Amino acid sequence: MAGILKHLAGIETPETLVFGITGRQGRSKSRLMKKYGTHIIAGCTPGKGGQEIDGVPVFNSAAEAVEAFPRLNTAVLFVPAGAVKKAAMDAIDAGLAFLVLAADGVPVHDEIILKEYAATRDTVYLGPNTVGLLDTDGYLFGLIGGSATWAKRNYLPGKVGVISRSGGLSQLLGAFHCRPDLPGLRSDGSFGPLWGDDFPGVSAVVCVGGDPVPGVSILDAARAFEKDPRTEVIAVYGETGTTQENDLARAVTAGEISKPIVVFLGGKFTQAGVAQSHAGAMIRNKEESWGAKKEALETAGITVVERPDAVFGAVLGKLD
Amino acid sequence: MSALPEYRTRVILEGEGVPVVQGIFLETGSAPPDALPGTPVYLKAQIPGATSRKAQGLVRRVDSIDDIPIELKAIEQAADGAMEGILIASGLDIIKEYYAACTLDFGSEERLPGGVLVFSAEGGSGVEERSGSLVSIPFLLIAPPSPGDIMDALPSSVPEASAESLASLLHGMIGTFLKYRLTVLEANPVGLLADGSVTVVDCRAEFEKSAVRKGDRDLFITPGSKGSADLTPLERKVAAINAADPSGTGFFRQNREVPPAGALRVATNLCGGGGKMLWEMTTGYRPSIFTMNESDTSGGLSAFKSCRILKVILSQEGAQVLILTGSGMAFQNQHHLAAAVWKALRESPTPLPCLLRFGGTDENRARELFERVSGSLPVQVRTYPAEIFPNAMADDLEVIALSEALSVDPPPPAQGEPFLTVEVPPGRIFFYPELWPFEESPPSVTACPTGFLKWEDGTLSVDTEARCIGCLMCECAALLDGNSEIRIELDMPEEVD
Repeated sequence: MAGILKHLAGIETPETLVFGITGRQGRSKSRLMKKYGTHIIAGCTPGKGGQEIDGVPVFNSAAEAVEAFPRLNTAVLFVPAGAVKKAAMDAIDAGLAFLVLAADGVPVHDEIILKEYAATRDTVYLGPNTVGLLDTDGYLFGLIGGSATWAKRNYLPGKVGVISRSGGLSQLLGAFHCRPDLPGLRSDGSFGPLWGDDFPGVSAVVCVGGDPVPGVSILDAARAFEKDPRTEVIAVYGETGTTQENDLARAVTAGEISKPIVVFLGGKFTQAGVAQSHAGAMIRNKEESWGAKKEALETAGITVVERPDAVFGAVLGKLD
Repeated sequence: MSALPEYRTRVILEGEGVPVVQGIFLETGSAPPDALPGTPVYLKAQIPGATSRKAQGLVRRVDSIDDIPIELKAIEQAADGAMEGILIASGLDIIKEYYAACTLDFGSEERLPGGVLVFSAEGGSGVEERSGSLVSIPFLLIAPPSPGDIMDALPSSVPEASAESLASLLHGMIGTFLKYRLTVLEANPVGLLADGSVTVVDCRAEFEKSAVRKGDRDLFITPGSKGSADLTPLERKVAAINAADPSGTGFFRQNREVPPAGALRVATNLCGGGGKMLWEMTTGYRPSIFTMNESDTSGGLSAFKSCRILKVILSQEGAQVLILTGSGMAFQNQHHLAAAVWKALRESPTPLPCLLRFGGTDENRARELFERVSGSLPVQVRTYPAEIFPNAMADDLEVIALSEALSVDPPPPAQGEPFLTVEVPPGRIFFYPELWPFEESPPSVTACPTGFLKWEDGTLSVDTEARCIGCLMCECAALLDGNSEIRIELDMPEEVD
């Protein structure tokens, strides 16, 4: 069980700590993750150390949990937005190599401080404002799928690596590559089933989150998929705001990423300076606009589609 | 981002030891002061986010205390109810104006994110057009620069005698920026005085509401400020729904623009950022569609809350059709959402024909449920699988919008006393034993997914260890498979003026 985490954070076998496991969301999502196959071996809620939640021991801090279980290497944080920075720093200080920060609404100052703090340490984190990561090798961090049964039925092993700045579109881009007889826009312009039972499937789904200062960027995730032997094509949902798509284009031009990429680029009609549903989608300068991103991506040889139902046919074309 | 007006920005700057020009704040409607700190003074309307105040007559110079009442009145009239009050600031003999601001850099692949101190020795007037005169001093939020670092970075045109006090002022600005997690802090101008000292003459700030700490709320968020006064009555209803049930996201904002003649007026219930983006990518190509509102109902809200917000969305005057879609792959149980839509359409006094796209967990159950309940609805409804995207659904909008209403009576209000009032999420459960006089458990009880509702010895009870998640499955099952033995009443906020 190595999967994408081996290339994202150098982790062969994820052993996971759940922050906020005593809360409603932490508890229910821990059940989801465990049922999917994630090794959750400890929980953490300050002041509630000593409890057990569904057989998982709870500790007051990440350091205490790591002391009891030195093999811990990953953590998922189901804590309120205002508590994310402190909890994430606690996990970083405890030496955990990969974190998932699920919360929406983390103050951007806290996001920047975390990025600065993690830059000189050996921790990679996904989010904030992410639904997490699912690897068809058998682990899931966050809430992708809504239920383990659904996730197992809808995300099947295959050749497509999915990266997305939207939670819902992470789920969709992943699941639809695993859906038999999926209708979509074909290369000849017609609309109809793209494949039968021979759907391409996914290696992993990585939601980088919708915030302006993500830990793992689209490019970081693409680098991991580049190294992942299962992945043949990378499918991305990108949008306006931040420099993530521009950075991806530069890396492809530089030859750092050679696998084919399809980007569904949202925000064509987004106006500069206007708040969006995703905090990170606000356009702050020309480089962050839809037009500039499209041009940069296409110049780098990346396929950009403007309709969601055009993604899957384009991916299929790359696989052919 | 939210804006902090000058008089409140001054308070946080002073708290960090930053010198600001002398001033008195007068709340709107309060009496003029008996004395002034000197003359002349400047009267400045305090409006969060206001720009070009001088040009709008919102800043006035006054040379005599006798003129204060007249000028105060003139500003109040010019502000037209938008201001929080008036700042009376001393006039100063300034020998040089500087510009200073703190802002954030979100970073990129090449550089870490951080803060940026921006300074111009050429003053603030028209600073946007004079980017060449700006000195940018980037810094890490976890390692802000010392006054010495700042002094070293100041341009040589700053007089040596005032460099130290200027660096100290800028250091205080950075401290304020970090302490309150501001997104922008601007001092424009910073005045250099004849004695070499510097002081902030005018200032403003921007902030994220999520970054305001509990103890600072009074300073940052003014009750009844322009933000809430700007809400429409329907938006205030949704605000009241959110206040009563804060779970998940319940965002609703009406389009202030006038629909173009002949445009199709579409009410929307979009779930999540992805859903909003898909709809925007659809309507951008179709100017004939007028989107009546933005909305986002996602993030794990209950069907109770979805239903309430849907009733508000449906009640928009002039709306012709409702479209509901998310990104197409939601985490919430889609059949719970389907139940919310069904209940809202059934009970709303202004139901709309609908295009509904359910996608995600239990999406097939959602569509099946809708097919079963469609006969109880007074409008035409089309449902779509997640594989059909909004760009294709939009082709059907006009046909469904022009479809005739169906002759179905709304259900009568629930009668009698509720069996139970659920506090979170708020709702009232009515049970009518006369409609289920049997020993076996009614479908409404067996449909409860959490086991909250129990059937023991032919009697309804609740398991206090379990909880009601507000999914509406009991009411759906009662209608479809039982004898309508359970009804849920969801109170709507009172009409807001």
